Amino acid sequence: MRRTARLLTGTALAFAAAGLATAPAYGGERGSLEVFPSNAVPGGDVTVNTAACGDDGTAAGDASAVGAGTFTLAPSTHEGDAIGQFKVPPSAQPGTYEIVAKCADGKEVTGDLMVTLASMRQQVQPRGSVKTGVGGALGPDPVQTAAGVAALAVAAAGGTWLLHRRARGDGI
Amino acid sequence: MRRRSCRRGFGNTAIGAVTVVALCTGAWLLTGGGETNAPPQPSAAEGRPDPVAGHTAARALPPSPPDRIHIPAIHVDAPLMGLKLTSTGSLDVPPAARKNLAGWYEAGTTPGETGTAIVAGHVDNADGPAVFYDLGALKKGNTIELDRLDGSVALFTVDAVEVYEASRFPDQKVYGAARRPELRVITCGGGYSRSTGYQGNVVVFAHLSGSR
Repeated sequence: MRRTARLLTGTALAFAAAGLATAPAYGGERGSLEVFPSNAVPGGDVTVNTAACGDDGTAAGDASAVGAGTFTLAPSTHEGDAIGQFKVPPSAQPGTYEIVAKCADGKEVTGDLMVTLASMRQQVQPRGSVKTGVGGALGPDPVQTAAGVAALAVAAAGGTWLLHRRARGDGI
Repeated sequence: MRRRSCRRGFGNTAIGAVTVVALCTGAWLLTGGGETNAPPQPSAAEGRPDPVAGHTAARALPPSPPDRIHIPAIHVDAPLMGLKLTSTGSLDVPPAARKNLAGWYEAGTTPGETGTAIVAGHVDNADGPAVFYDLGALKKGNTIELDRLDGSVALFTVDAVEVYEASRFPDQKVYGAARRPELRVITCGGGYSRSTGYQGNVVVFAHLSGSR
């Protein structure tokens, strides 16, 4: 019994690891439904998008779990994502609801929508300054450096020529 | 004969003059030429009036994540990626290697929605200027456009451009909730030190003034 449990846990971990390995570095996860805001209030608007339906793919959205019925996801200019919107019913109760989108080719993706009451909604704000520079713009300008080198080359050529004439006794 | 030597004397003088000018120019250019390449910083005149100017913002848009940012006044046209927080609670930044990429705080307000939407990008990277190099040159009244996934474009008008020291960063003023649709655009700025980098941030404050 315990061995079976361990085996199952191992399998689950293996699957989780495989999932992590295939997750992209950032943004636009293929194969999932992104929900904005993921934390909505009753009566609020929600936008969902997915890259799972391929370029120019449409999808049928289903938000009936939260009582918002069905909606359509249409292709957008954003990397071919399919995008749709719906409104959370004002009567929706706080909780987490699964939103489903079914691509035209039958593929199904889901995303979670959390509904909270307005008074409970609390965004986590960032804190402090942002590290958005290293000073790489402050070094010497390569164009300026090249121009300086060229000007010095001209000066060297002129100087050499003048010295040469002087040595020949042409007089300056 | 005399005429020839006269002409030669003139040629020598000209070449001598060119040589001296070239020498001086070359030395000036190679020693920095008076130009520091530091990103522009806002003047006090662009600072935020206190209390906040009561411009009435345009009606809030429904939430939709943004896709691109355009700032015509400083020729910015860049894609946006979602940003999260670092382990210390500060806003994360886009990968520095991609110089024309900005980010937005995706756990926060979407630009155009009521509240404070936050966009950040690099002023420079190891190779030179990056997406928000000229952010400090923005003026009150300039327009910032955000393309949104739902196909609309949120138009923001700049209220103020401030520069804050990292050690005295006004979290509430920059990130705090707003009753109207507002936007902050953040990059590095302030003084620069070789050991600790930029000393603070340039922050642009803007409010929603329309959409299309």
